[in-house]
Amino acid sequence: MSSHAETEAETETDGEAASSHLRTPGTTRLLGTIVGRELRTVARTHTFYLLAAAFAAVVLGITWIGGGYTAGYLPTAVDLLTPLELLVPIVAVAFGYRAILADDQRGEIEVLETYPVSPREIVLGVYAGRAAGLALAVAIPLAVAAIAIAVTGDDAVAIYATHAGADSPVLFARFLVLTVLFALVVLAVAIAISSLVSATRSALGLSVVALVALLVGFDLAIVYGLAEGLIGDATLLHSLAISPLSAYRGLVLETTVVVAAGTGPQVASPLASLAGLVAWMVGSLAVAVWGVRR
Amino acid sequence: MTGDTDSNGEDRERNRPSSRTDSSMSTNTNTTTGPTTDAEQEPNETETARPDDVPDRPPVLEADDVDHSYGPVSVLENVSTTVDAGAVTALIGPNGSGKTTLLRTLAGLLEPTGGSVTYRGDDAARRIGYLPQQPAFRPGFTVLETVRFYSSLVGADEPDTAAVDRLETVGLADAADRPVEALSGGMTRLVGIAQATIGDPPVVVLDEPASGLDPGMSNHVFEIAAELAAEGTAVLLSSHDLSLVDRTADAVALLDDGRIVRQGPPASMRADLEVDSLRAVYEQSVAADAGTVRVQGVTDE
Repeated sequence: MSSHAETEAETETDGEAASSHLRTPGTTRLLGTIVGRELRTVARTHTFYLLAAAFAAVVLGITWIGGGYTAGYLPTAVDLLTPLELLVPIVAVAFGYRAILADDQRGEIEVLETYPVSPREIVLGVYAGRAAGLALAVAIPLAVAAIAIAVTGDDAVAIYATHAGADSPVLFARFLVLTVLFALVVLAVAIAISSLVSATRSALGLSVVALVALLVGFDLAIVYGLAEGLIGDATLLHSLAISPLSAYRGLVLETTVVVAAGTGPQVASPLASLAGLVAWMVGSLAVAVWGVRR
Repeated sequence: MTGDTDSNGEDRERNRPSSRTDSSMSTNTNTTTGPTTDAEQEPNETETARPDDVPDRPPVLEADDVDHSYGPVSVLENVSTTVDAGAVTALIGPNGSGKTTLLRTLAGLLEPTGGSVTYRGDDAARRIGYLPQQPAFRPGFTVLETVRFYSSLVGADEPDTAAVDRLETVGLADAADRPVEALSGGMTRLVGIAQATIGDPPVVVLDEPASGLDPGMSNHVFEIAAELAAEGTAVLLSSHDLSLVDRTADAVALLDDGRIVRQGPPASMRADLEVDSLRAVYEQSVAADAGTVRVQGVTDE
């Protein structure tokens, strides 16, 4: 029985033999089972393919229109940065906003409570499965863009180290990894939302609120804090880490554009930004666990 | 119908372990402190006599003075009951009487706002199996994949084999490859029953397992419940099909207005009221008029 009921273990173990062939599986096996189901769900859901295709079309379209194929990796990353700041959160929320809610509406979360599966394992399993699908949906178009640049670029780039003033696929790889990380952070927020609401309409409403807060709200809050003197010049770079969007943007600029430019003022604290993104991810998943347990 | 002479019941009784010949649900009128009803004022006549040579095994599940409220609405009041291993215990009562709330509380899915629920069964990988009133499964998966998923969660060495076995038990082996969203309501319920029994939990809680099923399928579902009980499982189910309950259940608890107004073996309940069917017991014990749903706090006492 789950935690609600007291348990008085029987001293007589008549039934042990009957049930001994079934032992509570370990966390790794449970996670594997739940992740496997999520992966199959993603692979069998046409909506996710449509989302991924739309995302890929936008990424490749911007790359094409911006002349990125011929301009190189860094110009393409700069071209894509602002559109991805908007697109990635939308795609991530679409991947996750009903992930737990749908199971809850079907009563499957309640049924899972009768199995030796903890809310933490449910959330981590669901998140990991969806994250794998989302990571592929985000990474593949960017990787295709990178391949196109490599194949069709005017000047073949032979530099794979990062040097001031030099374009490099390594810079684009960093951009790709950071974009996937940003997507996974927003997915964690979406999973948290899906665990807190009890209706699809509520999930949609809260998702829109979360998107507005992520895309505009936190940046405005930082600007307000700066204007009111709540955030000083000295702490501004670190304060940017409060907003996932600013943290992502700062990380991309610091690890790609500034590196290539070789000069210019520091635009973000990479360490603080990374810590900010990790905190958002872990915090959101903790909220999701609480939501499922509730 | 008179359950005492029912051949199915006799067959089941013969097939069960000897320890199961005791009363499958004891009447706990001494522990019920809620508002007194006529039924509760009667002496403890519904308790069946226990043979001296049968060890008195403690119940697997015990509710003691359980209350449950949804905000200001009290749904259960001072409910005390027990569920024994190797028996089919049925919960009957009008719509809105609190059956589902009591089942979910006993299954550990709802925390009682008062009283306690105690589990005394084996320390199994899964202690209580549960069939919700309206079972549903994640679309996009076949029946076999769905049952296999749940089998994997209890550590089955061969989830595929375990899943096929469950489907054969409920008679759904031929639908193993059918997507769950393409199942009829009755077939979905059977998948739910298969799910509820995965891991061989000592207690299986079925919320209206025969709801929406044709007569043949309803019979089949109750037969499954009886077979589970014959194997030693404590089966607790709710149902509005009183004839099937009369024929199958070893013990019945009649819930009305959030309180257990009568409980015990069906034969004892019939004998107490000198009627010949569980339906007559129900009609004499339930306060609501036929066709009227009693709403607690609204309907006059």
